[in-house]
Amino acid sequence: METGVVTGILNSTIALIFTWVAYKTGSYIYKYTPYSYPNARISAMEAKMLNSQKFNELAESRTLQNFVVNLEDTQYRDYLSGLSEYSVEEIERALEKSLAGTYEMLYKMLPKRSRDVFRLLLEEWDVRNIAAVVKAKLRGEPAIDYVSEIGLLLPKVKAMAEAKSMEEILVILEGTPYEEPFRKLILGEITASQFETELYRLYYGRLLDYALSRKGDEKTILLEFLRMKVDRLNIVTALRAKAAGMSAEEIRSLLLSGGSVDLEGVIRVDDVGMALAELDSTRYGKVIREVREELERNFGVLERALDEYILQRMVEVSRFYPLSIAAPIVYVLKKEREIKKLRAIVKLIADGVEPERIKEMIGDLA
Amino acid sequence: MDPIVYVSLGAALAAGIAGVASAFGVGVAGAAAAGVVAEDEKNFRSALILEGLPMTQSIYGLITLFLILLSSGIIGGGFKFADATTDNIIKSVILMGAGLTVGLTGLSAIPQGIIASAGIGAVAKNPKTFTQGVIFAAMAETMAIFGLVGALIMIATGVGF
Repeated sequence: METGVVTGILNSTIALIFTWVAYKTGSYIYKYTPYSYPNARISAMEAKMLNSQKFNELAESRTLQNFVVNLEDTQYRDYLSGLSEYSVEEIERALEKSLAGTYEMLYKMLPKRSRDVFRLLLEEWDVRNIAAVVKAKLRGEPAIDYVSEIGLLLPKVKAMAEAKSMEEILVILEGTPYEEPFRKLILGEITASQFETELYRLYYGRLLDYALSRKGDEKTILLEFLRMKVDRLNIVTALRAKAAGMSAEEIRSLLLSGGSVDLEGVIRVDDVGMALAELDSTRYGKVIREVREELERNFGVLERALDEYILQRMVEVSRFYPLSIAAPIVYVLKKEREIKKLRAIVKLIADGVEPERIKEMIGDLA
Repeated sequence: MDPIVYVSLGAALAAGIAGVASAFGVGVAGAAAAGVVAEDEKNFRSALILEGLPMTQSIYGLITLFLILLSSGIIGGGFKFADATTDNIIKSVILMGAGLTVGLTGLSAIPQGIIASAGIGAVAKNPKTFTQGVIFAAMAETMAIFGLVGALIMIATGVGF
């Protein structure tokens, strides 16, 4: 072979190898490096989360002032330092602000291509707040008591709670995605529970659209997470509705689309027992079996069990994808659980419950 | 191409690719280190050690660069393969292959940085995992060592010093 031919083959081979290597290396770097800083920091923040020893100390606080003092060496210090009084409402508000702060911090730390999910997750609090305020208004109760200090629409939600009429609320909700369902509600086209379902339907629709617009691992992880959240909501709604004696048609109208479990069999059966048997063959069967005895008396147990299942599943996912959106999601789920426990302790202390009993009860919340 | 181009390319690729890969690896691990130190300064020592692991590939690249320049005579005398004969082209291509081997296996610094980054996060969460984190990250080093050994064999047997 001539020298020119040999060098030609060599040059082409080198060009080919370099193109391939550059492409693979580039995609590898693009995929992982943006999560390096946030995920490592999140790991460090997880190390600072409250452990069972700290929860026991908090349970032994006896007074709300001691409770706040016990949290001075934790991440909650900044939020609790500005309390005007040591009341349940004030402390709860500070804890909610701390959770809102966590969402905001994660939003700032994460790469642009995936961080919007934390804004969207924060919007779930708007949905909860709007539903709670509207239901309280319909019952004629002071709506402001039902507002959580978290969410992107918090000023609007507070204005809604202060509003004198439903028409005023409609004006406040103008321009938001929740305007149309509220208009239907005040026109009497839908009931309060259908209004709530409609809010969640809109919200989860946007979340799922967002997840579907992502690529690769991010899409896989977000879809897995969101489908579990939809399943949790649908399962609890279907069982509650079944227990209330609603028809299959009525229950179907309350369910959201986008979940991973087909609940058609669950809503068609006659009672809760049979509905639970239908759920046995799903991915949630094991979790439901474990709480079945308690479940028939209290659906809150099922909610907690499903929340725990979602958390554990996301922990597994984050181990499989250590540099991904899974770790921030796990952190926020753990933070929510931690704050839920702290709120429970605050209420129990205010009610004068004995420390030993508080320890037992918060153990059940885990 | 002239033999000098192949030889220079080999030396440049060995040090260049491995160096760039090390920079990316250290960068990824460094970002993680900054993240954990931002939360707790006590993480500095373990984060620093893990962050430094992806640097070794650039050292292998530098060693190979010197060996290629030495064996081709660019360092310590005149260039031995100046004439574009088939024998000289083959020798210069062998040197380029040696450089390419070290350069490409030096890309292991990038996944090593990613492993080190995950390790830094794990150590921040549980300091007892430091040794395991170092071992996991060091595993990625194996490929770079194989590359260096391969390059040494190629240079020693194909060209000689």
